[in-house]
Amino acid sequence: MMQKMISKDKISKFISVLQKEYKIFGPVREKGDIVFKEVQSADEMDLDYLNSKIPPKSVLFPMVDTLFSYKKDGEKVEIIENKPYNKVVIFGIRPCDAQSFYLLHNFFNFGKFKDPNFLDRLLNTVLIGIGCLNPRNTCFCTSVNGGPFNSEHVDILLTKFKENYFIASSTDDGDVILKKMDFLSDAKDSDVKEIEEMQKKVESSIKIIEDLEDLHKILDNMYEDPLWEECALGCLGCGTCSYLCPTCHCFDVVDENKPDGSGRRVRIWDTCQFPLFTLETSGHNPRTNKIQRARQRIYHKFNYYPKNYNLIGCVGCGRCILYCPVSNAARVGEHIGPLAWKSMNFIPSAAIASRLGVLFLSLP
Amino acid sequence: MVEETKQAAKGEASEEWKPKIIAFLCNWCSYAGADLAGVSRVQYPPNIRIVRVPCSGRINPFFIIKSLSAGWDGILVSGCHPGDCHYISGNYVARRRFAILRDLLIFMGVQPERLNFTWVSAAEGERFGKVVKKTVENVKSVGPNKMFEKDW
Amino acid sequence: MSDLESSIRETAKNLLTEGKVDLILGYEKGALPLRAAPCFITDPTDVDRLVFDYSCDLNLAKFLREHPEKKLGIISKGCVGRGVIHLVVENQLNKENITIIGIPCQGVINRSRVIRKIGEREILEVKVENDKLLVKGKDFEESLPLDDYINNLCKTCHYKSPPVADITVGEATASSLQDNFEDITSFESKTPGEKMEYFKDELNRCIRCYACREACPVCYCSLCFIDQNKPVWFGKTADITDNFIFHMIRALHVAGRCVSCGACSSVCPMGIDLNLLNRKVEQIVKERYNFESGISLETPPPMGAHKFEDGQEFMIEED
Repeated sequence: MMQKMISKDKISKFISVLQKEYKIFGPVREKGDIVFKEVQSADEMDLDYLNSKIPPKSVLFPMVDTLFSYKKDGEKVEIIENKPYNKVVIFGIRPCDAQSFYLLHNFFNFGKFKDPNFLDRLLNTVLIGIGCLNPRNTCFCTSVNGGPFNSEHVDILLTKFKENYFIASSTDDGDVILKKMDFLSDAKDSDVKEIEEMQKKVESSIKIIEDLEDLHKILDNMYEDPLWEECALGCLGCGTCSYLCPTCHCFDVVDENKPDGSGRRVRIWDTCQFPLFTLETSGHNPRTNKIQRARQRIYHKFNYYPKNYNLIGCVGCGRCILYCPVSNAARVGEHIGPLAWKSMNFIPSAAIASRLGVLFLSLP
Repeated sequence: MVEETKQAAKGEASEEWKPKIIAFLCNWCSYAGADLAGVSRVQYPPNIRIVRVPCSGRINPFFIIKSLSAGWDGILVSGCHPGDCHYISGNYVARRRFAILRDLLIFMGVQPERLNFTWVSAAEGERFGKVVKKTVENVKSVGPNKMFEKDW
Repeated sequence: MSDLESSIRETAKNLLTEGKVDLILGYEKGALPLRAAPCFITDPTDVDRLVFDYSCDLNLAKFLREHPEKKLGIISKGCVGRGVIHLVVENQLNKENITIIGIPCQGVINRSRVIRKIGEREILEVKVENDKLLVKGKDFEESLPLDDYINNLCKTCHYKSPPVADITVGEATASSLQDNFEDITSFESKTPGEKMEYFKDELNRCIRCYACREACPVCYCSLCFIDQNKPVWFGKTADITDNFIFHMIRALHVAGRCVSCGACSSVCPMGIDLNLLNRKVEQIVKERYNFESGISLETPPPMGAHKFEDGQEFMIEED
């Protein structure tokens, strides 16, 4: 595990060395939003960003992902498989989003059903993260086993320090890359100490939501709770929270064809917030109302995920809070459970407040 | 007429672009009008493919948008003249619908020449031929429809 | 708290205590600056949550259909009131169950425009002072001219307070605005190719979350055309052709029904501006059929009516 320093102006050199072997995806500002896109040089990237709007899961799990395509020529049908994936570096990813890949990996690699598209891409991807110096008010990564400088899920982590970046690898892949870079300078012990202090300071500025670990136990007894009704009241039923969530992974598979007889099978994002998501061919829909759908999202992240994978299915990036069109405090709180409502300034209605009191008291 | 037929045959031999136009004709007037055009040997360009519908009021805007997105170069919609609808008011409803649809499509960048609406009665075989000719001219003037071509 | 807010709360409290309504629909402060959330109040002691300011951009009429059994009071700025009336005209609501509490609106702030201006800095507080918008963050403070950040639709709005209201709170100023759709005319001078290019560029970012549809008061179909899969009419992928067609047909479906509230654009997580389309649709029905949605309980919507002498200048003639 190496620790080095790189000056700001050498980043472009760093990228051009990487480019010999990898396709680079980085944070690019497009119409005022940050998106992860393929870049040709370091100048295109905006490294002083808060976080991207569309999570970088879109690189490994694109909105529209072709599974295969086909061509028809008379009686003959030719199936065209996907090309093998290129080696990719996602440069400038936030540690929370990197953690989301770890969670997604659990899903796409679960049991005997392995998803080749996602897993192949993940195998060929190197994550170079940038520590988060300005966490937003809506961030709570430290409450869900993450942190603004968490290097657990990235290969290399950069931390901005004065006019330089402190660069540390945490995996073998990262070491290999850093060894290729002969223009890195050694990190002074005094600097490393200062950086660690700065990291701690930033980390402690993030709001902590306590006992999220135990939320799944509490949720076990809350399935029929009237709280969900209140949560769903102001919910629009749109897909924003799940489409912009780095750990949401549900998809739909559709076939498309063109008049010339060619076609493709694609995988597109889908969300539990739509009634169509659970509609069965018979016409029966087991999840008919907004209350059930709003509850599903929370249960999936904070109850089913812990039970299936022993992990919380949330990385605390705060996108759902930030982008929810109705910004309902109840709706926001819904994403991180009633325990968090207090810290999100949620004012419950009088009727529900009495119940909440009981809930808060019942905490361990 | 003979001259035109010869030209058409020539066009077919060379690789000249031939527009494909989908026509939605109501059963009671325009389809019968087209029939009359055929029976009366009225000559008109062979670029249209006819879909018979019960009434112009039956034509869902989806039909038109779906056709454009599927790559048809032009649309022709025809029903009974105002006052003549077999179902009394189907064509009035259709007229409002097309007016709004047409305005909106043009606003979003669809060439107006692709969207052709008209009335043809069962007695107007001659008119049907002329309408088709005009439609084909319109569509030819804007070229092939690549608006919704998929990039995969 | 403004005077308007206190009289809203007072009115809501009276209605609830007198038992005239079971539920008051209003706005409350959202969890973040520049955000308002819908608020459902059944208990008179909760009325202090009600607010009304420049951030109240949702159309509450959207939520009414979800409570068919209740007597409802709805805090209505102009476009909310229009939404309610239009839904009554379309037989989606029973007017007897609904009390429209009309309030005057000064327009709403276009949130995505503010966010684009501020860029990658976190907004922690937003205040309106006279004609300035003060945006504060951790280590910056910016003063922006308020007028530049008011939603375009609000600038052309004729109905600051609802045309039909059961109770009126606050004073409404009649609009003397002459709206001649200049923005539409100037856009229409472009060539078809340019127009399509503009829309494709704008709609390219759409992620198909359908927030626009869900926030729309008149988008109430139990099965949206895009969700129909027997047969599949149009594609559901986020490719540009599919996005373009989805928004085109949605605009078509709200023709003669859209109440110009701009909720579809303000809820869009990607900040896509659909207002131009809404304005066009408004212009079409106004100029062709002299209709404005949601201003009268008697006039039938244009798609449900017809006249012998309706315009047909677009029909091809044989000559």
